[in-house]
Amino acid sequence: MTNECKIITRRDFMVAGSFAVGGAMARPSLGQAPPTVQTDRSRVVLIRDKNVLDENGQVRKEVIARMLDDAIKALFNTGDALAPWRNLFKSSDIVGIKTNVWTPLPTPRALEETIQERLVAVGVDATNIGIKDRGLLQDPIFTRSTALVNVRPMRTHHWSGLGTLIKNHIMFTDQPWAYHGNACERLGAVWELPMVKGKTRLNILVMLTPLFHGVGPHHFSAAYTWPYYGLIVSTDPVAADTTGARIIEAKRRQHFGEDRPISPPPRHIAAADTQFGLGQSRPERIDLITLGFTEDLLLA
Amino acid sequence: MGDAVTRCDGDIVLRKRILFGWLFVAAVVIVGGVLIMNLNHTTSLSVEILMQHVPTNIDGWRATGRDRYYDADTIFDYIDGGGEVYRAYNLRRCAARRYEHSSGPEIVLDVFDLGSASDAFGVFTHDLDGDPVSIGQDGRYRPGWLSFWKNRFFVSIYAMEETDASARIVRELGRTVAAAIADEGRRPELLAALPDEGQQTNRIRYLHHHLILNYHYYLADKNILDIDDTTPTVLATYRRSAGQAQLLLVRYPSTERCRAAARQWVEHYVPESVAVTPVQLENGSWTAWRIADPLLAIVLEAETAAAAETLLADVPAK
Repeated sequence: MTNECKIITRRDFMVAGSFAVGGAMARPSLGQAPPTVQTDRSRVVLIRDKNVLDENGQVRKEVIARMLDDAIKALFNTGDALAPWRNLFKSSDIVGIKTNVWTPLPTPRALEETIQERLVAVGVDATNIGIKDRGLLQDPIFTRSTALVNVRPMRTHHWSGLGTLIKNHIMFTDQPWAYHGNACERLGAVWELPMVKGKTRLNILVMLTPLFHGVGPHHFSAAYTWPYYGLIVSTDPVAADTTGARIIEAKRRQHFGEDRPISPPPRHIAAADTQFGLGQSRPERIDLITLGFTEDLLLA
Repeated sequence: MGDAVTRCDGDIVLRKRILFGWLFVAAVVIVGGVLIMNLNHTTSLSVEILMQHVPTNIDGWRATGRDRYYDADTIFDYIDGGGEVYRAYNLRRCAARRYEHSSGPEIVLDVFDLGSASDAFGVFTHDLDGDPVSIGQDGRYRPGWLSFWKNRFFVSIYAMEETDASARIVRELGRTVAAAIADEGRRPELLAALPDEGQQTNRIRYLHHHLILNYHYYLADKNILDIDDTTPTVLATYRRSAGQAQLLLVRYPSTERCRAAARQWVEHYVPESVAVTPVQLENGSWTAWRIADPLLAIVLEAETAAAAETLLADVPAK
């Protein structure tokens, strides 16, 4: 073992306040991140539509496309669904749509296609748009990309507590295990990598059928998903993840009938705010706009 | 004549003795062979052979496609992310089979050969949620998922959706797989060093990789306790009248390594501490440690100094 670099221990996190006073390992609730020097606010849109899934649970493209358009309009306070895309992307951009292909709960193809279509509609050359999750470091679009769209479903995750928008960029490194420490707390560092830094223009967290609890080697059972019919859209990945995580936590309380914190705790969300300045993890600094039906919103 | 009779009788006696001798040897060989075969049954059992004992059609659930097999190098092709857990327990082989039903949820059977009962037990302790069931060793069932270990195998069976029928089939499959593994395995010897009082038997983790320790209890980003395949480690939760606490025991192969690990522990985690005396940390919890050569015993997250002291004192000296 080498002593060449500083060893970060649990006590370092205790000093920083990540581990609260208590007997067992305390898990910081989302929305209780330590004070941050950031003063900006972030806007997040949560849109829900029960018609987005058909009777077989398949995504209806026309509905999810309309949801995305409505969310974009609300997010940027405009009546023109394409105007924000024009502001966010130049026709000369090379755009990587960073998706997620996890077999049990992938990003819906219909949503990927809709994003691609909106980019083309505002002038981005179709040949300069790539949709990918794995193999980014060798991909001709992603290696040259000037802009990124980050889109994935939210789910619990074995190592990081939650599979989040912040985490979705992990495939931009060839050493993902290097970020596993302390429940992947330093995932925000991935956003500092040259292929990523400053490029993510839009974040879309898919909340159609989120996974709120993982079991077994594959960390999946449909028994722990539920139809929420939602999309969370923001330019701030931390604010979007914070909102999604609040919903997951609330669902766990509802399902288990007791406080069952996400395990391991998704520390990387608050850390992305306080350590890496990627966005807002405190609900009081998030302007949340909800569209669509509000039954079982789980955001009390 | 008399000599001839005597010689003849002698030959008969000799032949009888030889015959009985051979019969005795044959009996010993047969009985011994049966015993040895029985003892070696599980030792020679591969996941491929084991899967042959598991029906491919069970009450309408039919196996789809061919069984798939993975090893430590290919497990990530099958298990995203979580594959590291099985590698950390020396995964030898994994067999995977899917069952489908015309009107029921898909059921996935995974059988992992970890090469030793200790590692099968260890990987089982990675997730201890659920209710105890009498299937395999320490079987546990939570909605949608059954897991157990037996001998050097860890078995996971889960249904994509929880229905009455799928729950029944999951259990039935579990019993079949467990029956195909003839012999039970022994728990790691290190568990015997855990004090009994207040031990939460459903909260004992066995491991030998610092990545796994960090999953259950994050200690440091580097392997400051020098935990590896040669250092059986157990993390156990206690509830005592003096308060709750966790006990970490690491057994080293040599005194030198044990003491070196203790030095690292002190240097990087509790530089203000001396052995045995509890230290209060920034989160209000207490920690204490001592060398019980070749064991390093560390009490973590003790609610009180007394909880740390008494738990540490109960760790056997050797």
